[in-house]
Amino acid sequence: MKLFLFILINLININIYHYQNNDQLYVKIIPLFDNNPIQLSKANKDSISIETLKFYLTDFCLIKSGEVVWKEVNSYHLIDISKPTSLDIFFTNEVKVDFDEIQFLLGTDSLTNVSGAIGGDLDPTKGMYWAWNSGYINFKLEGKQNSKPFQFHIGGYASPYPTVQKIRLKTKKNLNIAFNVADFLNQLNLVNQNKIMSPGKEAQELSEILSSLFYINEKE
Amino acid sequence: MKRNNVIIILGLFSFFGLAMNLTFKPTPIKIEYPSSWPKPVYNFDNNPLTQEGIDLGRKLFYDPILSIDGSISCSNCHLSYTAFTHVDHPLSHGVNDSIGIRNSPALMNLAWHNSFMWDGAVNHLDVQALAPISHPAEMDEDINNIIRKLIGHSTYRESFYKAFQDSTITGEHLLKAISQFELTLISCNSKYDSVMLKTQVFSMQEERGYELFKKDCSSCHAEPFFTNNQFENNGLPINPILLDLGRYNITKKKTDSLKFKVPTLRNIEFSYPYMHDGRFKSISEVLNHYTNNIKVSNTLSNKLKSEIKLTSNQKVDLTAFLLTLTDKKFLFNKDFSFPLDKYYPDVEKKKKTD
Ligand code: HEC
Ligand code: HEC
Repeated sequence: MKLFLFILINLININIYHYQNNDQLYVKIIPLFDNNPIQLSKANKDSISIETLKFYLTDFCLIKSGEVVWKEVNSYHLIDISKPTSLDIFFTNEVKVDFDEIQFLLGTDSLTNVSGAIGGDLDPTKGMYWAWNSGYINFKLEGKQNSKPFQFHIGGYASPYPTVQKIRLKTKKNLNIAFNVADFLNQLNLVNQNKIMSPGKEAQELSEILSSLFYINEKE
Repeated sequence: MKRNNVIIILGLFSFFGLAMNLTFKPTPIKIEYPSSWPKPVYNFDNNPLTQEGIDLGRKLFYDPILSIDGSISCSNCHLSYTAFTHVDHPLSHGVNDSIGIRNSPALMNLAWHNSFMWDGAVNHLDVQALAPISHPAEMDEDINNIIRKLIGHSTYRESFYKAFQDSTITGEHLLKAISQFELTLISCNSKYDSVMLKTQVFSMQEERGYELFKKDCSSCHAEPFFTNNQFENNGLPINPILLDLGRYNITKKKTDSLKFKVPTLRNIEFSYPYMHDGRFKSISEVLNHYTNNIKVSNTLSNKLKSEIKLTSNQKVDLTAFLLTLTDKKFLFNKDFSFPLDKYYPDVEKKKKTD
């Protein structure tokens, strides 16, 4: 019996060891409010508190001298700051390539939006699907400023207002990708613009702003 | 001793390992339809039909567990004996007797639809059910809550395992099961279909009606589905209370104002009341609309710009043709009705032995 336990524990150990030790490539997403990590439902500067921050990052690929050298298959990741594990994106297979850029989409492409029910991070139970105007919510940000609520549900795949945005960042190794929510809110006037719940021109404009805010975090 | 134990335990492990690999294999099902029909739009590769999946979908379709207070199932608004529409109610009724804004459409041949709802708000059959589930005037329920209820239910986990080889109930599988049942709702056995297969002939009157139909109606109600799956303004004056602008609500394009999806006319005898708001109770009211009451507006379909003229005899002929679209085999198909045996297996077993 002891021998069996011994084997079992060793098996588990080997697994954990294996998981941590191989130089598996992973992306770390760092959502910030100004220069600080976001604390949910706590007032930050300007009496702004964030209650929900969820968005899709999809279609990850690595680029060397302008050419795609690696692409993740089935690349769909729902980032949800209430679930810290979702901030670390592990690629399932080992990646051993030289690269000088990383590319991904903020949001989901149009094919994904017309493909019916999908599982995993795209499952409609994730709260990122519009029931009354089919399609994914690509980016969801909810919170309060001075106890006045704001709600940004940004999505829409159909022309002329698709909201999926391609992001391409220069980096040779560091895959810590930061994103500053304050930079987004500062570009809006929350008094007048505090709610969007459907696709359209405004959603597209906001998605453009959002995509410009991702950067490689040099600090870590 | 120790070593024996290890062997036994290792043996057990490999046994369970094997048992897990020899998973239950569901029974594949292929839908049947006339060879002259085009290929379905629905991609069955992403959701292969199985008897277990269809059975599960049917059970869900009839189960009020999908609504917040357990009072309403899909079948409340979509009754099998009336081509899956809600007779006698111009606007659908949901939980707490709330009244929706639209007439529930008949459900059939959904595998050939490329959009759903009167305004095309839904782009795929799988995700259609999310709309009634979450609509406050319909079932007013949240999908995560439904899944919690299904997990707590005595039989659903097993049914999901049989259908999808996964006893974890996911939103994806819930929706795909409902789709599987809906995809089997195929109406292709009307008199019209037999005439097309040359196994039956129209009466003189029906034949005259068919000719009128092809001249005045089939540009939108195109054969063999009796819809072109497009959005058209067929000249109905706007409903002054609902102020429903149809397709415009989705696309926000002025040119889509007052356009609604062309509904199928199969089983039209049973799917009254008619139009998106159920404003007409009879086929004769519909025909009077097309001949006398077309409201001209910017988005009126070009196909209705020249007047439709029908004498009263011609209206009778046209109606006779429309009645050939009734498919009794579809309406009274036992595989589509309330699955008594799924809910009360003991009662059914007893009946058989009695
Ligand atoms: C309270 C009544 C009600 C309930 C309950 C209901 N529906 Fe419906 N259904 C409707 C109405 C009304 C529409 C049309 C909605 C629109 O056009 O906006 C509709 C539309 C549909 C359509 C689209 C048909 C087409 O041709 O576009 C499908 C499919 C459907 N329902 C399936 C279901 C399923 C599955 C359920 C259960 C999960 C369900 N319905 C529950 C009233 C209801
Ligand atoms: C320009 C396209 C067009 C033409 C031509 C047309 N229809 Fe329609 N028909 C529609 C549309 C669109 C609707 C749904 C309108 C709504 O509910 O707002 C409809 C609805 C109907 C309905 C109600 C169906 C239901 O389930 O509610 C009937 C019946 C019908 N049409 C019969 C006819 C007949 C008979 C003719 C020929 C005399 C005809 N239509 C010609 C577009 C057309």
